Amino acid sequence: MPVIRDILLSLKSREVLRRQGFRGGSRVRPEIKSLITEILATVKKTHLLEPAVAYEIYLIAGMSPDRISLEGGKAIEGPLLAAIFPEAKELAVIIATIGPGLEKQVTDYTSRGQHLRGTLLDGIGSAAVDSLIPQALKSIADGVSSRGYEISSPVVPGMPGFPLTEQWNLLELAKAKEIGVSLTASGVMVPQKSTSMVIGIGPKMTRWTQAEVCRRCSLKETCPYRVTE
Amino acid sequence: MAADLASTLADLKEAEVLKIVKDRLGAGEEPLKILDDARRGMEVVGKRFADSEYFIPDLVYSGEILKVVTDLVKPKLTKEVGTKKLGKVVFGTVAGDIHDIGKDIVVFMLDVNGFEVYDLGVDVPAQKFVDKIKESGAPIVGLSGFLTLAFDSMKETVEAMKAAGLRDKVKVMIGGGQITDEVRKYTGADAFGKDAMAGVALAKKWIGAG
Repeated sequence: MPVIRDILLSLKSREVLRRQGFRGGSRVRPEIKSLITEILATVKKTHLLEPAVAYEIYLIAGMSPDRISLEGGKAIEGPLLAAIFPEAKELAVIIATIGPGLEKQVTDYTSRGQHLRGTLLDGIGSAAVDSLIPQALKSIADGVSSRGYEISSPVVPGMPGFPLTEQWNLLELAKAKEIGVSLTASGVMVPQKSTSMVIGIGPKMTRWTQAEVCRRCSLKETCPYRVTE
Repeated sequence: MAADLASTLADLKEAEVLKIVKDRLGAGEEPLKILDDARRGMEVVGKRFADSEYFIPDLVYSGEILKVVTDLVKPKLTKEVGTKKLGKVVFGTVAGDIHDIGKDIVVFMLDVNGFEVYDLGVDVPAQKFVDKIKESGAPIVGLSGFLTLAFDSMKETVEAMKAAGLRDKVKVMIGGGQITDEVRKYTGADAFGKDAMAGVALAKKWIGAG
């Protein structure tokens, strides 16, 4: 079961600001800008981010409209995957996290009444998870390219046709325990700054942009973090 | 002419705001008048936030400035006036959900806007809300939840209030990432707030201060 830990996250302030609800052209106060810069420096200095990715690649044994069957008698439920990856030969199940340190620091700031710092650091954490995903995907893409395969864009539980209840299954399939990611009884990932996803792997795979995903999302009109370009 | 406190606060000029407040206190001005001006400034902040001119960090920054202003003014208020709150609010993230940053922002904005907030934390069982409502006599309850799984918890919490005979005594607001009026109807809440300032506006309206 592959685990990637040696990941250097480089956070762009544009992405951090997007995670605070700012959109292109929005005025950012100098106080906010300089505080973000200061917190980013602290994050780096104190090694608050502990990025890790666990993934497992499975051969696809069969597809039906509601599920994809995998080697070893395993399966992933939901009509979305079969509809979106009909050409896939394999699936990779991926869990990524930035570890528990950042959210502990957010709680610490907030409990000390430093709400602005807490809010900004929380946004930095979300941006860090965002920036971890392409790196994880690139690593997997590099690995499968030697077999003449490419990867699709990711799909995540909670998208229409891919139920959130599959989280338990995905964490098991990717052996998320290895990187310290678990679920609460109600299915919330811990650490919270974690994400789960599935990608299709095959000779020719479809890719799409985050903006396209956002356009199809039920929150497309209201989500403050939507990507529009 | 001295700079206007309300507009300076609305512009989030922290150092200038604090200078104005200290000067006015030093000149023996009525502390309540200073707080009223600061709250007028916060109303402008709320409007700019609603108009997407300000964003969440700006909102939180304004709250931090108002907190410092309040701390400066408080010692000058009489004990009775100084401790008087607009109203009580019981607030928490419902059972099964552990997201806290959104809840913390709303709690903070309610607090700096003059409410006494009982923050029950995250993953709060319905009975804990019921117990705190009974104990505090709070007429307002805020239920926070970020994920869709929170909707059933919100509904169960509202039903627990009903079973305890409290539903007619409290107004319930819900909020979180994916809350809509459909969800509001499903949970049985009275209203939903799309952001922290909407939550503050609802609470003010319900206690007759809006």
